[in-house]
Amino acid sequence: MTRTSHLQIRDFKGDIPRADAEQLERVWSRPKGLLGWLVTTNHKDIGKRYIVTAFIFFLCGGLLAALMRLQLMKPENSFLGPDLYNQFFTVHGTTMMFLFAVPIMEGMGIYLVPLMLGTRNVPFPRMNTFGYYIYLLGGILLFVSLFLNVGPDAGWFAYVPLSGPHYSPGKRVDIWSQMITLTEIAALVGAVEIITAVFKHRAVGMSLNRIPMFVWAQVVTSFMVIFAMPSIMLASGVLAMDRLAHVNTHFFNPAEGGDALLYQHLFWFFGHPEVYIIFIPATGFVSTIVETFSRRKMFGYLGLVLSLVSTAFIGFGLWVHHMFATPVAELGQGFFTGASMLIAIPSGIQIFCWLTTLLTGKPQLKTPLLWVLGFIALFVLGGLTGIMLASVSLDLQVHDTFFVVAHFHYVLIGGAVFPLFGAFYYWFPKWTGRMLSEGLGKLNFWLFFIGFNLTFFPMHILGLHGMTRRIYTYVVESGWGNLNLLATIGAGVMALSVIVFLTNVFVSRKSGVIAGANPWGAPTLEWGTASPPPPYGFLYLPTVQSRDPLWSDKDSPVIVGLSNTKREVLNTTILDAMPEHRYELAIDSIWPFALALAAGGSFIGAVFNAWAIPIGAALSFLVLSLWFWRGNEPKFLLEGIQHTPSSPSHPSKRVLEETPA
Amino acid sequence: MQNRTGTSLTLNFRLLLCIPIMALTGCSGMQSALNPAGAQAGRISGLWWLFFFVLTSVYVLVLIFTIAVFFRRHRSSLPLAPELPHPPRERRAQTIVGSAVGVTVIILFVFLFAEFATGHSLQEQPEPGALQIKVTGRQWWWEVQYQDPTPSRMVTTANEIHVPVGRSVQFQLQSPDVIHSFWAPNFHGKKDLIPGHPTTLTFKATTPGTFRGQCAEYCGFQHAHMRFVIVAESTNDFQTWLEQQRQPGREPGDETEKKGKEVFMSASCVMCHTIQGTPARATVGPDLTHLGSRPFLGAGTIPNNLGHLGGWVLDPQSIKPGVHMPQNNLSPGDLRALIAYLESLK
Amino acid sequence: MTARSVIDVSRLPSTEMDHRSPIWWGNNLLLVIETTMFGLIVAAYFYFRVVDFHQWPPPRSSHNPMMLVPNPALTIPTINLAILLLSCFPAYIVDRACFRKQSVVVTLNLLITIALGMICIGLRFLEFKSLQFRWDENAYSSVVWTILGIHLAHLITGTCENALMAAWALAKGLDAKHFRDIRITTLYWFWIAGIWVLLYVMIYWFPRW
Repeated sequence: MTRTSHLQIRDFKGDIPRADAEQLERVWSRPKGLLGWLVTTNHKDIGKRYIVTAFIFFLCGGLLAALMRLQLMKPENSFLGPDLYNQFFTVHGTTMMFLFAVPIMEGMGIYLVPLMLGTRNVPFPRMNTFGYYIYLLGGILLFVSLFLNVGPDAGWFAYVPLSGPHYSPGKRVDIWSQMITLTEIAALVGAVEIITAVFKHRAVGMSLNRIPMFVWAQVVTSFMVIFAMPSIMLASGVLAMDRLAHVNTHFFNPAEGGDALLYQHLFWFFGHPEVYIIFIPATGFVSTIVETFSRRKMFGYLGLVLSLVSTAFIGFGLWVHHMFATPVAELGQGFFTGASMLIAIPSGIQIFCWLTTLLTGKPQLKTPLLWVLGFIALFVLGGLTGIMLASVSLDLQVHDTFFVVAHFHYVLIGGAVFPLFGAFYYWFPKWTGRMLSEGLGKLNFWLFFIGFNLTFFPMHILGLHGMTRRIYTYVVESGWGNLNLLATIGAGVMALSVIVFLTNVFVSRKSGVIAGANPWGAPTLEWGTASPPPPYGFLYLPTVQSRDPLWSDKDSPVIVGLSNTKREVLNTTILDAMPEHRYELAIDSIWPFALALAAGGSFIGAVFNAWAIPIGAALSFLVLSLWFWRGNEPKFLLEGIQHTPSSPSHPSKRVLEETPA
Repeated sequence: MQNRTGTSLTLNFRLLLCIPIMALTGCSGMQSALNPAGAQAGRISGLWWLFFFVLTSVYVLVLIFTIAVFFRRHRSSLPLAPELPHPPRERRAQTIVGSAVGVTVIILFVFLFAEFATGHSLQEQPEPGALQIKVTGRQWWWEVQYQDPTPSRMVTTANEIHVPVGRSVQFQLQSPDVIHSFWAPNFHGKKDLIPGHPTTLTFKATTPGTFRGQCAEYCGFQHAHMRFVIVAESTNDFQTWLEQQRQPGREPGDETEKKGKEVFMSASCVMCHTIQGTPARATVGPDLTHLGSRPFLGAGTIPNNLGHLGGWVLDPQSIKPGVHMPQNNLSPGDLRALIAYLESLK
Repeated sequence: MTARSVIDVSRLPSTEMDHRSPIWWGNNLLLVIETTMFGLIVAAYFYFRVVDFHQWPPPRSSHNPMMLVPNPALTIPTINLAILLLSCFPAYIVDRACFRKQSVVVTLNLLITIALGMICIGLRFLEFKSLQFRWDENAYSSVVWTILGIHLAHLITGTCENALMAAWALAKGLDAKHFRDIRITTLYWFWIAGIWVLLYVMIYWFPRW
């Protein structure tokens, strides 16, 4: 129901008043210094933090992988002993899946979705900040434990009974469980933000069929997060209870009716959607880059959107294909084979639509598009080996071998990291105002592409020839030495590529070409504001009349009438995005940081003693009460630094009033 | 699909493909899913090649279209003006994409039926006269027990399995500690040994030879060193081996071996190991009754000879750290006698 | 000087009481997450029943006297369920009164809901006692205690949230935003009661069928 009686569309004559921008700057900026860094609730700050932090974890995980490759490069090597190697492969997998892949996609969403929607911030700014801090705590927990040589060593999936109290004594697996809890809270927080933003804060005129593909990808992913994360939180939570002294539940203890297979079901019910949670945002990057660099509207928009939605649904029906070697019923296995093959269809539709857009457009081969072409070459290969793995008979041979390692690196690196690098090259100008070097970018790409294939292609062969996973060494007579050496050389090339990338970033930040608002001539809204965007995003909130506003819209009206003294955005209706009501967003606050310490401390304490949970919960509730009680007015801590309300006779209002209706 | 006469063109082509692969991997066909020596692995291998050739063709097609983008590129550095889509071209593109999706669906159905056919044949119940072997996975070795209606005729050994060619073998798989996975790629896919969920695996060897198997589910510290040997041999050879395994431990032949047996009985060895026909009957560790006849020690970790056995007995932790066997502080004389005795247990 | 058409939204309201408010969406998404969590625990409960146990609940042979069919007692749980459902009535009155902006009615009924909630929490501890099993005896007892425990956590959180709202109402008075917030917390309370009906039936009645 729209309230057209409340809207007045009229002509606005006059330059956009400078006072408006300065006032908005005052209202939306954060305080200076370290305090400002701690209390900020600006989605661009938090988004950048997620991206940088997650990328640092990517480097850590990559370093662990390089060390693993050094150990495996020749048979019976003694570079890493079993304890270190087992910790390294566990922490490598855990880092990449929980601390890098999901958070970086989330970070990209938190930064870009509000801008693409034409609004100023996420709907719950303080909760967003809290999400980042608790994620950071989880990551710190994991790496501190690794440095103290008590890193988890039961695999990133921590199967029971190996990870249970009897076979994994000590605190290693407990640290793993609580790290999961902390990072999954952050993921759930991000999902709630994005769904609410996409439902309620779209620009006026952005009906469902005008939502950018990137935003569709993010909202579909967020729904998957909502339904998948509870499963891993439950699995790791009851595992922690099985292990905790004086709690000692028997969920997974076969001697008391517990069931080791139940753990696998709970884990993989999360685990399979997890990989789509990582992959689907990457499809958002690909769609965006393909459209921009083909210089034409995306072909098959409806097909692409339906593919995303069906991938999400089908993705929840595949998990048993990780368990084909366990004693599950044959009939059930057949169903999961069918579903696992079925999911190739929406993925195929996406590939076909992207290739069609490129081949019927005028492709310009800048670095972002190069990464996307690399993505197609590698992800399709990985997807095809995935079809092989969908077959129970084939899976029984190659399950838990390096064939699977090859498969998932092709779909995860090829399918998510390549688009991610493309996204970095594409949006770096928006984040920093400067372009990354094209020359270094091409070098970066080719080194990564070649290094990646050298590393992971031989693993297909190794798996077929019997090399199982998670082994810290192998014997000479196996004959696996040559291909392993090749893989290690490839890893070295990949490392070189990452160094080139980092060089590109550090050099370009200082001396890259100035980008301007829209260096790529892209169609979506984030390119309609400055690079980097001011804290308030857009000077006036935009409206849209098409799916590619910066290409097709002519003189779309802008929104006026939102408060200049409060952080206000516009809520719109769900289907047609008509204006509905004004909504005040939270200001900067220390409470998210305090809650992260309280809740995070509670879970970290639970590694050692079960009482940490009720005590931590009470403390967290206290912090939440204060958070709520202090409300949204600038308070003692921030007085004197905060915004000054504007004078009642605001220039822009006067201009409006003077203009005839 | 699968042609065993070796005269078909596809089979020759596959062998041709195998040669560079084998060369790269050092001709290690004894632990390879692509070197089937059994009926089940043979069927899986046939399915593999069907998938491989069809999917490779699909991949090449996608690559061609991807590379075509390179050739259609515009070289200007500034962004070109975005163009409006051309309706007739859009309709043509829709037809092509629609057809591609249709072809994809057809290929997937072909694969689905091929998989169901293969899977169904793999799930067939074993013949009534199948050989029954109970395999218990432990951290980090394989306990193998040949079943027999008469309990006294059961044979217990470790890390080594012999099977007769041409006869179905049914493995009863179980684990008392953590999850392991039994995998002999030349014969069949793998099966997980999950505490609380005993299960079975059946295959039939068709080609004689010596092959390798390995634990394929991460089971802790020394998962990497949990291997076994699997020998497929003629029925006669198999019966000879089984009979020999049924015999109690060979009596010591000379003074050294006699001393060695005394060392065994008085040291901590008897706390964990069995030698049939002697008072040593503990079942914590592997059965050593015919240790001398086994090719490896420590579940495929080191070759079985005097030198290695001496090192293993003295300090297994330095060879396989974390293994459940403690160090044994024996004098050189005692050690020499002990390993002479153990190696004599053929 | 460039002309630019505008849409003036200054006359739009700034607080909505229902699904038009983002906080409504945030709250409901969190409830979806919690429902999924309970759904998975229920799946685990039935998984154990079907796959791992011959009798449900399993007999307590080591107990003295031996308990062959230790079904959980019904009295206290049923009373607790009744009180929890009863507490939905004042909660409903709170919900409607928020629309009509009746501060006194809201505050009063909120306090009644809190009082009933506290009784439920107290009874829940007695409910644990009446279960016949400790949590660490077997998988059945572990899963039942876990379900009761997680729901207890929700009862405590819901009551504390109601208390916080009541404290605000008494200390600072209620404006439109806080009437909306109270509607949100009562929605949470309805969910706590509603989900318990299903879980109660599963834990206390299903073993008897």
